[in-house]
Amino acid sequence: MTLDRTAWMTPERTELLNQPLTESTTLLLHSVRLGRSGSADPWELAATENLVDHTVRLGARPRGTADLIDAIERAELTGHGGAHVPVALKWRAALRPGGPLTIAANGAESEPLSAKDATLMRQRPHLVLDGLALAAEALGARRAVLWLHGDDTGTLYAMQSALTQRRSARSPEPWLEVVNGPGHYLAGESSAIGRALNGGPTLPTARPRQGAPTDGPRSLVHNVETLARVALIARGLPPVRAALRTVLTPVDRQVIEVDDGTPATEVLARTGWLHGGPPQAVLLGGFGGMWAPWLDIEGSTFDEVSLKAAGLSIGAGIIAPLPRGACGVAETAEIAGYLAGMSARQCGPCLFGLPALAQSMRLLADGTAPRGEQARLLDDLRTVAGRGACHHPDGATRLIASALATFEHDFTEHAHGRACNGSRRLTLPVPAVAR
Amino acid sequence: MKRRGEDRGAQTWLRVDAAACDGIGLCAHLTPSAVELDRWGFPVIVGRELDRGEVSAARRAVRACPRKALWLETTPAPAPAPTHAWPPMVAPPVS
Repeated sequence: MTLDRTAWMTPERTELLNQPLTESTTLLLHSVRLGRSGSADPWELAATENLVDHTVRLGARPRGTADLIDAIERAELTGHGGAHVPVALKWRAALRPGGPLTIAANGAESEPLSAKDATLMRQRPHLVLDGLALAAEALGARRAVLWLHGDDTGTLYAMQSALTQRRSARSPEPWLEVVNGPGHYLAGESSAIGRALNGGPTLPTARPRQGAPTDGPRSLVHNVETLARVALIARGLPPVRAALRTVLTPVDRQVIEVDDGTPATEVLARTGWLHGGPPQAVLLGGFGGMWAPWLDIEGSTFDEVSLKAAGLSIGAGIIAPLPRGACGVAETAEIAGYLAGMSARQCGPCLFGLPALAQSMRLLADGTAPRGEQARLLDDLRTVAGRGACHHPDGATRLIASALATFEHDFTEHAHGRACNGSRRLTLPVPAVAR
Repeated sequence: MKRRGEDRGAQTWLRVDAAACDGIGLCAHLTPSAVELDRWGFPVIVGRELDRGEVSAARRAVRACPRKALWLETTPAPAPAPTHAWPPMVAPPVS
C-alpha cells in the first residue's frame, strides 16, 4: 500500500513538526476556565488533539517493554490521582506472578471540584490512550480499560472518537475498552474500580483478609495524568516537572499546568486570586482532602514534596482557597454533610459515624450546639478514624480534624453560640445530596 | 494438637471485616479485654497483639460471630538468635 505522506501536511502541521520536542512535553494544550461546579465543559471551546496531530507532535507510540519500568523509575514518576505512589513500585508489584491482570486508566474524577483529568482527556485523548496501551504491553495485561465517571458525557465522546481514530489507523496495540462507571462519589476510588472490573460491585475496600486467595484476577489502576506522563517518558522525553491543578476562584474553576517550584502566591495570582486580598485558608485535595491556613502555604509552593514536609497533601491537585469573611466551620459542615450522604453504606463506622460527625458539625456551624458538642465531635473522630471498610470515613475525619486545627478560633466562637455571618454566605460549591 | 500460628513468640491480632460486621456485639461479650463497642454498637478492637489468655477467648469470638466478620491474624515470630557462629549470618536487607 502506498500512502501520500504529504497529503495531511498542512502549513500548521508542518509548523508543529518543526517545533522542538521539549516544548511539547507539557500536558495541556491550553489552560481552561469552567463553571465552579458541575461538568468539566470549558467555557471557551478547547481544541481536541486528533491522532494525526498527536503523531506529528510526538512521533509514533513505541512498544511498551520491561525497560520502560527503569525509565519510569529514573524519571521518579509518582501517581497523580491523589496517593502519590511511585509508579515503578506499582509496576514491579504487578510483574510478580499472579492472576490475570487488568490495567485501568482512571478518568473518573469523583471529587466534585476536580476537572483536571476530564480537561486532559478532552484536549489530548491520545496521550492518555498511549499511556494505557504502553502499560498494558509492558506488564502483559489481559485487559486494558479506560474507566470514566458516569455523568461525564463530554469526556466519553472525546475518548470514543479518539478510539475510533486509532482503530481506523490500524496501529498495532492492545484492545482498549471504555467503561462508563457509575456517577457516585466513590466510583473513582481505585479499589472500587478493581472490584467492578472483576465482576463485583463498584464499592471500595480497604484491605483483604489474611489468607485470601492470591491467584484471583488482579487490577492495576492509574490516574489518566500519570499514564499521559508514561506516554511521554516512553518516547525518551525529559520528565515533566509540572502537574495539572484545578483551582477554584470566586468566579470560576481553572485547570492549569503548574511547574514544580512555582510559589503558591504566583499560582493564585495567575488564576485571578489576590485581587481582593489573600485567602484565609486553602482546601487542598477537595472534599476528601484537608484545610491548611494560608499563612502556612503563603511562602511555600503547592508541590506535593513541600506540602508533605508540612504534613499536608495536594491530593488529586485541587486548590480551593477560602476568602476572608467566609466561615470555615460552616463550609466544613456542608462538606461533612455531603460526605455522609456519599457513604458506600458498607460498614457501621461510616453508616453511623459520618452522619454523627456531620450532625455535630451542623450544630456547631449554626451556633446551636449543646455544651460539650466539640468534645463529642473529637471523640467521634477518634472512634471513626481508621475503622471503615474503605478509606472514605478516613477522608471525612481528616477533613474535619484539619478544620478543627485551621479554624480553631472560629470553632470556639461557634461552640459558645456566637455563630458568624459566614454560615449564610457559603462559598464552596458543595453539591446537594438526597439523604 | 498444635494449631497453626501458635508458635512460641508469634503475635496474634484480632481483626474485623467492617463491611461484614452488623454490630451484633457477641465479640465484645466474649473478649471484653480486647473488644469494646462504640456508641453505635460496632466493635473497636484494641490496637495491640493479644496475650495468651485473650487468644483463646478471641478464638471463641471468631467462631461465635454470626456474620463471620472476625478473624485472627498471626505475624511470624522473630527468627531465633543463631546458636553457633558458622555459617556466618548475613543480615537481612532492611525493607
